[in-house]
Amino acid sequence: MRFRIYRLDPETQARPSWREYDVRLEATDRKVLDALERIRTTLDDSLAYRRSCREGVCGSDAMNINGRNALACITPLEGLSEPITLAPLPGFPVIRDLIVDMTQFFAHYHEIRPYLITDEPPPERERLQTPEERAKLDGLYECILCACCSGFCPSYWWNPDKFIGPAGLLQAERFIVDSRDRATAERLAFLDDVYKLYRCRTIMNCTEVCPKGLSPSRAIEHIKLQQLRRST
Amino acid sequence: MRLFSGQRAFVVQRLSALVLLAFLGGGALRLAFGPPASLDQWQGWVAQPLGAAAVLLFALAVLAHAWVGIRDVVLDYIHPLPLRLTILGLSAIGLALLAAWTTLVLVSHAL
Repeated sequence: MRFRIYRLDPETQARPSWREYDVRLEATDRKVLDALERIRTTLDDSLAYRRSCREGVCGSDAMNINGRNALACITPLEGLSEPITLAPLPGFPVIRDLIVDMTQFFAHYHEIRPYLITDEPPPERERLQTPEERAKLDGLYECILCACCSGFCPSYWWNPDKFIGPAGLLQAERFIVDSRDRATAERLAFLDDVYKLYRCRTIMNCTEVCPKGLSPSRAIEHIKLQQLRRST
Repeated sequence: MRLFSGQRAFVVQRLSALVLLAFLGGGALRLAFGPPASLDQWQGWVAQPLGAAAVLLFALAVLAHAWVGIRDVVLDYIHPLPLRLTILGLSAIGLALLAAWTTLVLVSHAL
């Protein structure tokens, strides 16, 4: 199977390049990550990429596969047109080959204060929710922060330092709708900014590529509607 | 709503879109079911206070919608501050002149 992979070693290369590989796969090699492992063990041990859980839970191996962001470990090789083109997440600074610098991405994540904020005294056991309150978190809490969405968002490409991006905003919504959180007004006020939230142009690439089937664009629209309700 | 919030532009964009939709929809119905027969009839309609107000509201909605769009494009793509301020300033002046000119034309017809 033929691959075309983005290569950059900042210690030896001033500019990135593309390298072609023709790799013989085994019958057990079903996913893109299997092929990358095969390339590294049989053809080129200098190829760098992140991977950890191998089953779509950790989000480490997010990359651009044939022009679309996805997790290499859960993307089947079957059906991909050759040569299969692998590139780092668009819009992210490249550290080496398919490894990108996620510093800015996680800075935005921390900016939205991804934890419950409450001044109520801790209960003896857990803070209870009704089934309806708990159901509001569905479609939000499952985010694994792989950055497929933010790396496919043109608004994030143009203003990565200021726009929080779809992943961070989905997480913000997760805490805004949490019945146990008492900082909803502060959270909404923090996001009422030309850049932080309102750079979203509803392009919906984020929803299109989310490997967990989540909808950051719906979460973003919900945040905007709640801000509108509070200000009228 | 804060003066420089992101929400203000969001609201202006959507409200102006509703005005445009209403005017264009109403205009299309009027043209479909009772189009003015001559230029004099057109001018007569615009010269009435209600017609002039509707056209003025439409023109202001177009300009407000255009302002939000231009501002969004500039915020997205133009990063050097002097260039950004220049483009926004020139756009604001241009749109304000268009608003003034439209108002002048409508008032001169209505009087």
